[in-house]
Amino acid sequence: MHPGRQLGVLGLVFVVLYLLVFFGAGASGTWKDRLEPKLGLDLIGGTQATYIASQQGAPPTKEAMELAQEIIESRVNALGVSEAEVVIQGNNTIVVSLAGKADDQLKDLSKAANMRFRLLTGVTGDVASVALNPPSPSPSVSASGSAKPSASGSAAPSASGSKAPEVTSSASTGGQGGGAPAPSVSAEPSAAPSASASAPAAEAPVTADQKEQRAAIAKKVGAAVWAAAEKLTAPVDLSTEPKAGLPFKPFSTLTPLEVNALDPQMQFNVPTISCEQLDKRPNGAIDDINSEVIACYQGAKVMLDKAEVVGDDIDKASPQLDTTQNQWVVSLDFKSAGQNKWAALTRKAFEATTSDPCYIAASSLYPNVEHCAVAVVLDKEIVSAPQIQGVLTGQSQITGDFNSASAKELADQLNFGAIPVTFESGPAQTVSATVGGQQLEAGLLAAAIGLGLVAIYSFFYYRMLGLVIFLSLGLSALLTFGALVFLGRSIGFTLTLAGIVGFIVSLGVAADSFVIYFERLKDEIHEGRSPRSAVPRAWHRARRTIISANAITIMCAVVLYIVSIGQVQGLAFALGLSTVLDLVVVFLFRHPIMTVLASTKAFLSPRVSGLGRALRTSQKEA
Amino acid sequence: MAGSGFANRLYQGEANIQIIGRRKMWFTIAAVLVAISLGSFVFRGFHLGIEFAGGSKFSVPAVVAGQTLTAEDVFNAVGDAVHEVQPGAQVTAAQQIGEGASANFVVRSPALSSAEMAQVKGLIEADLGLEASQIGDEQVSAAWGGAVIDKAILGLVIFLILVTVYLVVRFEWRMAVAALASLLLDMIVTAGVYSLVGFELTPYTVIGFLTILGFSLYDVVVVFDKIQENTRGITAGSTRTYSEATNLAVNQTLMRSLNTGLVALLPVGGVLFIGAGLLGAGTLKDLGLVLFVGMGIGVAASIVFAAPVLSYLKDQEPRIKAHNARVMAKRNQRSVAVSQDGTGTNPAASDEVPAFAGSTTPRPGARPAQKRGGSRPGGKRP
Repeated sequence: MHPGRQLGVLGLVFVVLYLLVFFGAGASGTWKDRLEPKLGLDLIGGTQATYIASQQGAPPTKEAMELAQEIIESRVNALGVSEAEVVIQGNNTIVVSLAGKADDQLKDLSKAANMRFRLLTGVTGDVASVALNPPSPSPSVSASGSAKPSASGSAAPSASGSKAPEVTSSASTGGQGGGAPAPSVSAEPSAAPSASASAPAAEAPVTADQKEQRAAIAKKVGAAVWAAAEKLTAPVDLSTEPKAGLPFKPFSTLTPLEVNALDPQMQFNVPTISCEQLDKRPNGAIDDINSEVIACYQGAKVMLDKAEVVGDDIDKASPQLDTTQNQWVVSLDFKSAGQNKWAALTRKAFEATTSDPCYIAASSLYPNVEHCAVAVVLDKEIVSAPQIQGVLTGQSQITGDFNSASAKELADQLNFGAIPVTFESGPAQTVSATVGGQQLEAGLLAAAIGLGLVAIYSFFYYRMLGLVIFLSLGLSALLTFGALVFLGRSIGFTLTLAGIVGFIVSLGVAADSFVIYFERLKDEIHEGRSPRSAVPRAWHRARRTIISANAITIMCAVVLYIVSIGQVQGLAFALGLSTVLDLVVVFLFRHPIMTVLASTKAFLSPRVSGLGRALRTSQKEA
Repeated sequence: MAGSGFANRLYQGEANIQIIGRRKMWFTIAAVLVAISLGSFVFRGFHLGIEFAGGSKFSVPAVVAGQTLTAEDVFNAVGDAVHEVQPGAQVTAAQQIGEGASANFVVRSPALSSAEMAQVKGLIEADLGLEASQIGDEQVSAAWGGAVIDKAILGLVIFLILVTVYLVVRFEWRMAVAALASLLLDMIVTAGVYSLVGFELTPYTVIGFLTILGFSLYDVVVVFDKIQENTRGITAGSTRTYSEATNLAVNQTLMRSLNTGLVALLPVGGVLFIGAGLLGAGTLKDLGLVLFVGMGIGVAASIVFAAPVLSYLKDQEPRIKAHNARVMAKRNQRSVAVSQDGTGTNPAASDEVPAFAGSTTPRPGARPAQKRGGSRPGGKRP
């Protein structure tokens, strides 16, 4: 190939790479921002926690791992640090990192995620904002909202539910795409009585610790407010009395931890306790199978009965295409012991009469209900709340507005519940910003020293050819930097100190491929070839060696990247990336440049090329 | 100046250093080094960092609000805080990392839980008047170190299998075996150095150790490539035994090996210098040290161990054995004829290891036979 053409290709690679850097993969901000690679916490400071997930002692399946990541993510969000990053590393490690800040809470997320099946016994709107700022005009404003839930909700769940052929052995869900009973004040009236009816349910024993906490909260909100809240037997009905929520204002200032200490009834009834507060309750807040709990679902606060069936009872769930209806369903099998419990639970839900609290709750959540709904709770989230269409003694089916993806998602979640993933805390660290900056500085300094030493050595040994080495290394560095910025944005590659070392090591590898080539060239000239004919011959032979040798380095990097965890990956990635880029530079820059140089006179001068000594020796011998 | 001097001959690949001929010596040295290393593994073991033993680490800035703390201040503050939370726990002396205003002190303690860590940090803050964000910490369970090691071993095994397949395909099985032998030597001796000197073993050491794998083979591939080239069609002629051809290849690539080795060690030296010299401890030092030691040994092993092993293995191959015998026979004939003229018989020619090629090769470090024909009539020269 003509040297010009190869240089052209290299130019093209450059242009494309830097176009990607500046305009590709979500580049935004100033020019300088777009040039910033993603730096690891050890370089900028921050907090990092590692969790090793396992499923019955073995690494979790890929699906379970993704769910575990979501769960950790939601736990992190519950802490109010949404900018923290949660990524999977390797096959069983989840790394939570928060750049630039210290937050020890991130190191304490290792609680196992449990699944619970709970009868849905009450629904009330998440009306905290309305309760705090009652609409000044007439309640007619809220009336418009009443149409919403039923309209959007009726389309999907009930239609599909009625179509289901096996009513006895299938449950229909309204979970997917069901209308959210958004903060519509009018949604409550129907729900309110239901909750009050369920109120007499036996309360879980209150521990001394809880008593103490509650006493403290009572003090915080004021004794009068506390007493009023204790007296509530149902959610405050704001539709008839928009200002009824105002006396409970102090409850909106409670921390999620304090909210968690409250009695579930109170969490449910007090209108000023928002879903935002509830969602941020500590991990495991609604895990207790022996107590009623409050959760948020589709923008409403829901009350859930004791968990009569748990994830352990599930045998297996799988997405299936029901060919007669041509729709996706999720089939659900229970273990034999679990089957009995499930039958009992579904009997309760199926045989409920219209006056039962769970019936009323279900009808305020979905339109056209005939039976109660059972909520499937994973960790702190209700993943689905299907209506029960029969006393389910065999295989159950959850129908609804599923597509293949959403059916699979629900099946994965159920399976995840069946075999809980447990987390073990791995290494956790906090790096202060000063230390981070210092490490970055040190890494860059080490890189500069490395580059400097290689440059000095190559100028000393190869004279002007050192310039070719130097230029190529510079080119490699530019390509690497571009790739780093782009990969940081597109696949989230983070440069850590170990990564910097990987790049520094690859400097040596890059320079090595020159040494191989130049020594080869020396051999050829030594054997009496003219530089012009020696260059292509040396290239031809050196190419083979360089490719073999680089192939080994790349192999090493790929294997390390795949099997390793943590910082090893960063180093392996850096090493592999720069070795590949080295090959690019070798083929597209150094070879054409040498071809061009070989035709110049200066190339023959010993003072210029460093090959002169070989040249002179061979002439002398001849 | 060009024609004489050892350095120049080295530069030209004509030093004709007997490397293959001394293979017994290299094997002995290698065996001794391996024995010492293995002995050290058994009797001395390794000095494990907290990442493997499990533990916690606190780093506290040396300068707080314009006031400079001493190592003792930090040691006392952290020690008191840790004792408060876990009576009886021992902390290590404060180690300074970095210089001047950005310096830090690092104190290690036994493993604490996240809650205990937070508590200790709170106490240190109160004691030294710091802000929470200024204290760095690290906690590692021993299980994690185990996981890192497991993964490393898995990676090692996969890599070795892949590389063996690659080398067998690219070269041949004897070369693959020789390359792996040299790799193993490199690994064992590097680990031995760690065990003997008592350098601290951290996950970064393990990372670096795995990186050496690729590099160590890199060197070997360069040498073997030349050997393969020199010995292609060697059985067709009868001028040179396999070992001699190998020795020639090693000499020819000697400068290249030294160069690649040096050039690769230079940047790693930079890392080590900054890591150990400027920072005192941490990622850079751990990585730099293991890479420096491992790469250095790797370069040496590729020259004085890989090629000798290969020549030994090749000499066992029936085809090469026959060829060697033929070369020797021919050489003996000739030397009987020549010895009368006093040209001198090299006694080594009849040596068990037929590597001393001095008596027959036209000049030291000559080019391989098949290339010599084409090399002289270079067009331009007078």
